[in-house]
Amino acid sequence: MSWLRIRELVRKEFIALFRDRRNRPIIIIAPIIQLLVFGYVVNYDINYIRVALMDQAHTRESRMLADTITGNRIFHITDRPRDQRELEQLLLLGKVDLGVKVGPDMSRRIRQGETAAVQILADGSMSNMAAVRITYIVLVLDELNRNLIRELYPQHMDYGRIDARLRTWYNPNIYSRYFFVPGIVAFVIMLISLLLTSIAIIKERESGTMEQLIVTPLKPIELIIGKTIPYIIISLVQLVVVTSMAIYWFEIPLAGSVSLLALASCLFLLSTLGVGLFISTISATQQQAMMTTFFFILPFFMLSGFIFPIANMPVAIQWLTYLNPLRYFLVIIRGIFLKGVGLNVLWPQYAAMTIIGIAVFAGAVGRFRKRLD
Amino acid sequence: MNPRKIEAMMRKEIYHLIRDFRSLYLAFAIPLLLILLFGYALSLDVDNIETVVVDHDRTDLSRDFIRHLDASPYFHLKAYLSKADAVTEYLDHDRATLALVIPPGWTKAIRSDRESPMQVILDGSDPNFANITRGYVNAFIEQYNRRLLLAYLNRHGLQEIHPPVEGRIRVWFNEDLESRNFIIPGIIAIIIMIAGAMLTSLVIAREYENGTMETLKSLPLSAGEFLMGKAIPYFFIGLIDVLIAVLMGQVLFGVVMKASFWLMILASSLYLFVALTLGLLISNITKSQLVANQGAILLTFLPSLLLSNFVFPVANMPKILQLITRIVPATYYIEILGGIYLRNLDFDQLWLSFAVLTLMFMVLAALNVLMLKRGGL
Amino acid sequence: MKSSPMIPSNDDAISVVALEKRFGDFVAVDRISFTVKRGEIFGFLGSNGSGKSTTIRMLCGIITPTSGSGSVAGHDIFRESEQIKQSIGYMSQKFSLYEDLTPFENIRFYLGIYSVPQEHWRERMEWILDMTQLQNVRRRLTRDLPPGWRQRLALGCALLHRPEILFLDEPTSGVDPITRRHFWEFIAKLAAEGITAFVTTHYMDEATNCRRIVMINEGRIVAQGSPEAIIAEACPEVPGADLNDAFIRLMARRAQ
Repeated sequence: MSWLRIRELVRKEFIALFRDRRNRPIIIIAPIIQLLVFGYVVNYDINYIRVALMDQAHTRESRMLADTITGNRIFHITDRPRDQRELEQLLLLGKVDLGVKVGPDMSRRIRQGETAAVQILADGSMSNMAAVRITYIVLVLDELNRNLIRELYPQHMDYGRIDARLRTWYNPNIYSRYFFVPGIVAFVIMLISLLLTSIAIIKERESGTMEQLIVTPLKPIELIIGKTIPYIIISLVQLVVVTSMAIYWFEIPLAGSVSLLALASCLFLLSTLGVGLFISTISATQQQAMMTTFFFILPFFMLSGFIFPIANMPVAIQWLTYLNPLRYFLVIIRGIFLKGVGLNVLWPQYAAMTIIGIAVFAGAVGRFRKRLD
Repeated sequence: MNPRKIEAMMRKEIYHLIRDFRSLYLAFAIPLLLILLFGYALSLDVDNIETVVVDHDRTDLSRDFIRHLDASPYFHLKAYLSKADAVTEYLDHDRATLALVIPPGWTKAIRSDRESPMQVILDGSDPNFANITRGYVNAFIEQYNRRLLLAYLNRHGLQEIHPPVEGRIRVWFNEDLESRNFIIPGIIAIIIMIAGAMLTSLVIAREYENGTMETLKSLPLSAGEFLMGKAIPYFFIGLIDVLIAVLMGQVLFGVVMKASFWLMILASSLYLFVALTLGLLISNITKSQLVANQGAILLTFLPSLLLSNFVFPVANMPKILQLITRIVPATYYIEILGGIYLRNLDFDQLWLSFAVLTLMFMVLAALNVLMLKRGGL
Repeated sequence: MKSSPMIPSNDDAISVVALEKRFGDFVAVDRISFTVKRGEIFGFLGSNGSGKSTTIRMLCGIITPTSGSGSVAGHDIFRESEQIKQSIGYMSQKFSLYEDLTPFENIRFYLGIYSVPQEHWRERMEWILDMTQLQNVRRRLTRDLPPGWRQRLALGCALLHRPEILFLDEPTSGVDPITRRHFWEFIAKLAAEGITAFVTTHYMDEATNCRRIVMINEGRIVAQGSPEAIIAEACPEVPGADLNDAFIRLMARRAQ
C-alpha cells in the first residue's frame, strides 16, 4: 500500500473541499446551528402552565385555591372566564393548558364536612405534557386539602404519613438540554460523515475524474482510505467544536473522560463512514445518494433512544436497535457526560460499536470495485 | 402563461423522476417509513417504570407498601435489593430508573403517628421520562398516604373525614392520552416538507450543476412557466404521500379526523405549495445540490420537526425561539391539523392560519420568480 | 480486407483477439482483432456510438470485456489489468481534471498517484509545465482555463509518469483547428521518442496523421491498414479521394 498515493489523495480532497466556498457553511455553520437549535428547542422542561380559573364561588376557599395554584410558580392563571362557554373556547383554541372550574357551592360543602368537586379540564393534545400537568395540579389540590383539613380539624392532624424525599440523579434539575445536547453531538457527527463521504465519491464519478483514477495504479483500498481520512479529520474537528460548545455554552457538565469520548467517536465514525461508502456504491447520482442517506439516517436517528425511549418500543423493534451504532454511542455519550462512568460500565457498548463498525466498513470495502460497469 | 410550455417542462421533469427510479421510490418510501416508525415504535408515554426497592424495615406494612407498588400499572418492580449501594449499580447501568429506599424503623414511626421519610431516587437523564415519573411517584405516595390516613382514623375510632376538595379530571381532545394521536398528524407536516421541499430543493440546483440551466435561459420560457413545470409533479407526489399517511394513520393506528376531510385536503395543498416554493427557492439560491440538501434539512425538515409545536411545546422555549416559530410554516399547518384531528374545529376558527400560509406561499413564489428573472430566465 | 497477423510479436504494444463487449443484449464491440506496434500512431476511427470509446476503456481496464483476449504493454488485459496501468496514460473525452485545483496541484496529485519518486518531482513538474506551456498559469484554477489549455493539461497529466502507451479518447473534440494541428505535431514528436499513441476520433481528416488506422462501425472492424491503403482499396477509381469518401463507400458496400 502506497502512503504517497494516499497522502496525495487526502491533500487533493482537502484542497477541493475548502476551495469550494459553498462547502464552508456545511462544515462549519450547519453543525453549530443544529447544536444551538436542538439545545434550546428540544425541551420537555415544564416551567409554564397556563391555567384558566372559572370561579363561580368567589369565597375565601376559592381564593385559597387560586393562591395555592399560583403559589407554585409553574402555574400561571392567565384567564378568568365567566362561564362554561368562555372556558371551553379557551381550551378549544389552545390558549390554556388546564381549565379549573369551581362550583358556587364549594365553601358550603367544605364547611359542612363534605367534599367539593373541582373540575379539571386538561388539554390532552400533547399527552406526555398533559400527564405531567395533571399530576402537578393534583399535587396542588392535595396541598390545598392539607391546609383546609388543618383548619377544619386542628386537633387531628398528626398522623403517620410518608414524607417522600425525592432525589434526582445525574440531572438533578432535570434540564432537558443535559439529555439532548450530548445526543446532538452524535447526530451532527453522523450526518456530516455519512453524507459527505458518499457525496465525495459520487462527485468524482459524475465529473469523470473517477474514470481517470481508475486508469491509474491506485488500489481500491488506497482510494477508500484516501477518501475517508479527510472526513474522519473533519468529523473529529466538529466533535471538538460541538463538544466545547456543549460544555461552555450550554454548561453541560462533563463528568467523565474526554479521551474515552474521543475513542467512542472514532469507533462510531467507522460505522458511519462505512455506511456512507456503501451508499456511494449503490447510488448513481448525488440526488440518489442524498435521498438514500436521508432514508438511512431517519430510522438510525429515531430508533436510537435520542428523543424517543427505546424501552417504549415494541420488543421486535427493540431487538432491531441492537444493530444501530447510534444507540450505543448515545448511551456512551450520556454516560460520560451525565453519569461520569467509564469503561467498566460502558465496555459492552464499546464492544458492540467496534464489531458493528468493522463489519459495516469491511462490507462496504468489499463492494467497492475499481470499475465503472 | 402558456400551458403548452408548462406541460413540456412538466413532462421533462416527470421523465427525470421516473428514470431516477431510486429517488422516486424514496419519495414514497420515506413517508411510509416515518408513519410506521412513529406509529409503532415511537412513543412519549410513560409506563412500566423499572423500579427497585430497598427495604430496611421488613415489616408487614413495608411489604404492603411494596405490594401496592408492584400492583400499580405504572411501576414494574424489577428487584428487591438488600443494600443501598446496589441502587447505584442499577441506575448507573440503566437497569432501573427509579429506586425507593424504606428506612429502618419506618413502620414504628408511622404507627406512632409521626411523619417518616422515604428516599426516592430518580434517574433524571431523560427529562420527559423524569418529569412524568416524578409526577406518578408523588401521586402514588399521596395515594398511599390517604390509605394511612384512613387506617389512622379507624384506629382512633374517628369517623371518616371527607377530603374537602376532590379533583374530577377530564381530558379533552386526546381522551385516551395516547401520544400517537398527536404525533401521527404531525408527521404529515414533516412528510410534506420532505416530499415538497427536500426533493424540489435539488431540482433547480441540478440543472445549474449540469449546465442545462444555461440552455433553459436561452429559451422563450418564462420564470412562471419554469416554476410551475418543476413544481407540479412534486405537488402530486406530495398529495399522494398525504393520502397514504392519512389512510395508514386511520387503518393501522386508529387515528381519525374529527373534522372535515376536504378541509384537510385544502390545508395540505396550501402547505404543499409553501413547501414546494420554499424548496425551489433554496435550490435557486444555492445552485449546488449538496448545499441545497443541507440547507433543506436545516430550513425545512428540522424546523417542521422542532419548531412547529409538534412534539416540543413552544410555550417552553426562550422568547426568541418562540418568535422564530411564528415564521415556520409548519407551525400554522400543525395548528390546523390539531384543529382537524383533535379539536374538531372548522374553517371559521382556523382561517387565520390559512391566511398566513397563503401569504407565505405568495411571498415565496414572488421571490422565486424574482430570482429567476434576475438570473436571466 | 486484409487482417493483421494473429501472433503477437515483441514489437506489439497492444494486441487484441476477438475482443467483445456486450451490455445485456446490445453488442457494443463485436469480436474485433488488431495489433498496434510500439512507437506507432494508431487511429481508431468511427462515428459516435460505433464502439470506439468502449474499446479504449476495455484496453485501459475501466470496463471488463465480455470475451476475447488481449495484451497491453506486455500484460494480459484480463488477469493483469492493474499492472498495465503504471505503463499507460489516458486522456478521456471530457479531459477529466479537478476543476477546483490549479494545474500545479493537478500535476502534483498525479505525480503522487503514479508513485513518481519524490526527488524527481520538481524536475518533472517543470518539464510538464514547459511541455504544455502552462508555466504562467500554474496557479490559476483549472476551471478558469480555456478548453485548449485544459486539453494540454490533461495530456500533461497523462504523460508525467513517462508511460509507454498513450490512450487518447477523442482528444481534439471541441478544440480549434490551430490547437489541433499543434496537438498532432506533439503526438508525432512523442512517437518519434518511442511512445505508442492510440487515438480514437471521428474526424476522418485527422486520421491521415496516423501510421495505421482501424475503421469501426457498429462494433465491427470495416477496414484496417494505412490510410493510403484503405483509400486505395475502397475508392480505387477516384483520384484525390480521402478517408471520408472511403468510409462512405465502405458503409454503402456493407449495406448491400
